[in-house]
Amino acid sequence: MVVKTGQTDAIRSNREKTLGKVDQLLERHSNRSKRMNRERGLVGVIVLALVVWSWVMTEFKLSFLWSGLGNIANFFVNDLLPPDFSVLPRYLQPVIDTLVMSYLGMVMAVILSLVAGVLAASNTSPHKFVAFIFRSIVSFLRAIPALVWGLVLVSAFGLGSLAGTIAIGISGVGILGKAFADIIEEIDEGQVEGVKATGASWLQVLGRAVWPQFMAGFVAWSLYKMDLNIREAAVLGLIGAGGIGVALNSSIKLFQYQEAATGILIIFAMIIAVEYITSRVRKSIL
Amino acid sequence: MKKNIKVWLVAGVAFLLFILSLAQLGLSRERLSAAYDRGMVIVDSMIPPSVSNPSNVATAALESLHVAVLGTLFGVVFSLILAVFAARNLTPHFTVSVAVKSFAAFVRAVPALIWAILFIIAVGLGPTPGILALAVNSIGMLVKVYAEAIEEIDIGIVEAMKSTGASPMQLVFQGVLPTMMSALVSWSIFRFDINIRYAAILGIVGAGGIGWELVRASRMAAYSEVMGITLVIFFMILVVENVTRLLKKRLDLASMETVRS
Repeated sequence: MVVKTGQTDAIRSNREKTLGKVDQLLERHSNRSKRMNRERGLVGVIVLALVVWSWVMTEFKLSFLWSGLGNIANFFVNDLLPPDFSVLPRYLQPVIDTLVMSYLGMVMAVILSLVAGVLAASNTSPHKFVAFIFRSIVSFLRAIPALVWGLVLVSAFGLGSLAGTIAIGISGVGILGKAFADIIEEIDEGQVEGVKATGASWLQVLGRAVWPQFMAGFVAWSLYKMDLNIREAAVLGLIGAGGIGVALNSSIKLFQYQEAATGILIIFAMIIAVEYITSRVRKSIL
Repeated sequence: MKKNIKVWLVAGVAFLLFILSLAQLGLSRERLSAAYDRGMVIVDSMIPPSVSNPSNVATAALESLHVAVLGTLFGVVFSLILAVFAARNLTPHFTVSVAVKSFAAFVRAVPALIWAILFIIAVGLGPTPGILALAVNSIGMLVKVYAEAIEEIDIGIVEAMKSTGASPMQLVFQGVLPTMMSALVSWSIFRFDINIRYAAILGIVGAGGIGWELVRASRMAAYSEVMGITLVIFFMILVVENVTRLLKKRLDLASMETVRS
């Protein structure tokens, strides 16, 4: 009997302890989910407010969706189709220009970004301050779209693909400079220290310790930039900065929509082709 | 060894292309030095940057923001609907999936600015073509990533719900949406960051927003104004990026705590 009461007591106190823990857990959980719901609610309210504000200010109506889609479908069927392929020869030179702009833009961006990336990465930069300056320059270049650069450069270089090439190159530094700096910052410091310990110069450290670890990311990002460039080069012509956009724009301005349809199809084909080639090159190098 | 030869081959072809491209571009010393002189004059007149009509520029910048918000909203809504049909594990038939995915691939490959031009022809100038262009361009990307997110969800959940006799609507709203929520949120925010950049330049072709102010200033050769508006675009994008990052962090923090408890 005595033993039994002792056991019951032990069981009872155990049970109370467990219940207390469960209560505690439950309370903590409900606090967290309350907090979570509050955060979600807050973000939801902000998003909703933004949407309502935008809706009112742009005087948008849901009916625009249907009429807009109806109009564009109508436009596609009646005006754009069928594409007029007789203008293909006229599009040849613009296509070459577009490819040249994208490629030279990539080369320019890669060269500038190598310098900017090394100087912006905290572990290869000669000084903290230099790294900060180059990081800031790169972020500035990234935040301004290529078309804005194009607009300014067309004033300096005149109409033509030179302005477009440089615009692509400059805005590319914004993307590649950051990517390169991030890759360099993530490399294994052990190898760098090892090479440094042999008394190697700064350039030797870059070549022997940094480059081998950096190469894969370098190739992948540069090729990715080429993919992006072809899209940018295709639209830079809309502001007169060379390439197929110039021809497309003049077709549209002259209401030659069937010619324009050919231009759009060519842009589509170029993007697909360049993406295919870059993926092949990526596979064969890496 | 074979790899090495390949790398050198690629490098050789790349160099050859570089030379050919340079020849195509037709660089000459006179042209470059003329451009340099003109460039210096322009840079000179850019400083100090100015904005002659601040309220106009501010309205235009806000219009860009509005276009980006609504473009993203409609892009997200339509992409969600289309993604259900595009995802291999939910689609009513695999041909539907292939059709929706190819449509998205085509839409994605045509740049946003060209969509804007087409919509301007179809519905006229103003913010509406910009909103529609961004929505369509967003659909191209979001259908793909949403469908991939849906394809990654645990098929067991879907099967279990189906066996309880859930309707397709219930399947989507109670099984699929909650599981893909975090992918949905992060991709939509990512797309908004892209759209605000596009919204800033859509005005260049006449689709509303601050791009139009920029073109106007550059046509009048008012370079200090061009620089001023460029800076406004820069700050607009910077602010939007930081705000979305902050919102995303708050959401992540909240969901991380549920995982831990």
